[in-house]
Amino acid sequence: MGFLEWLQSTWLGVLVAESLWGYPIFETIHTIGMAMMIGSLGLINLRVLGYKPELPLLDTRQLLPLAWIGFTLNAISGTALFTSDAVYFWDKYTFRIKMVLIILGGINAALLGQRVFREASAGAPALPTAASTKWIAFLSLVFWFGAVIAGRLIAYTP
Amino acid sequence: MDILVWLENTFIANAIRTIPWLYPTFETGHYIGLSLLVGGIMLIDLRVLGFARALPLKSMIGLLPFVWIGFLINVFTGSMLFIYGATNFGPNRAFQVKMAFMVLAGLNALAFDLSVRRSGSSWVAADRPPNFVKGVATLSLFFWVCVVTTGRWMAYL
Repeated sequence: MGFLEWLQSTWLGVLVAESLWGYPIFETIHTIGMAMMIGSLGLINLRVLGYKPELPLLDTRQLLPLAWIGFTLNAISGTALFTSDAVYFWDKYTFRIKMVLIILGGINAALLGQRVFREASAGAPALPTAASTKWIAFLSLVFWFGAVIAGRLIAYTP
Repeated sequence: MDILVWLENTFIANAIRTIPWLYPTFETGHYIGLSLLVGGIMLIDLRVLGFARALPLKSMIGLLPFVWIGFLINVFTGSMLFIYGATNFGPNRAFQVKMAFMVLAGLNALAFDLSVRRSGSSWVAADRPPNFVKGVATLSLFFWVCVVTTGRWMAYL
């Protein structure tokens, strides 16, 4: 028995797949976690790109807990949904694209955090945002909205 | 129910049924709109409740245009999705409860908007939302989570 088949046969996989409420509950949590992540990360990225310059750039850090809560909710609910039908999901190219986009989004967020927050807190908060930093913020929006789109399309693609 | 049958047979509904990528496109659009709408509202409500205090309250309330864009995207995409399956969605309990929560969330947003305007925004400038406004923000979070939840549940009834 392969890993994916084993995953589906675990108590979690069976519970999510067969219980009346399991799948919709995790799906709902996944949707709310998505709104938390896109809302908070979206605003940080837009701020880096120059939107609402009156927001102190360094202080947008205070939005990160919301992004982390959303990410954690979605890692847990996403894993639960995946285990319910692991073979099916793994076969879908949109699922794989979504995973790649999430990894890229994560690397990107780490890079952005290093640039914006560490540099700014090092004593130059008034420094204009470098073009390369803006590119990172722009790509972040592309990756996370891309993950939303790919995720939604899993149900419609082979 | 006649209007539901009629809706489902309009050329729009037929187009959504015939063009294979149209339904997934509207559904995906509905999720992007949801992210802007609920993501934006959440930021405003949480800020009113004291989250991310270093960010000026006035600027955060200034995120409302995003919320409106998300709302308009979702009214449009939601209408398209509804027309496609009107006879199925119309009698759906989860859909009916979702619409009820939408009305409640809308009235609640109106109360928020009025309290921003009526007070001449004095509490906005002073960053001291009155308890009434904090109550409205809490209800807003609750109503929108209910809208998302009942919307998701439509597929399972």
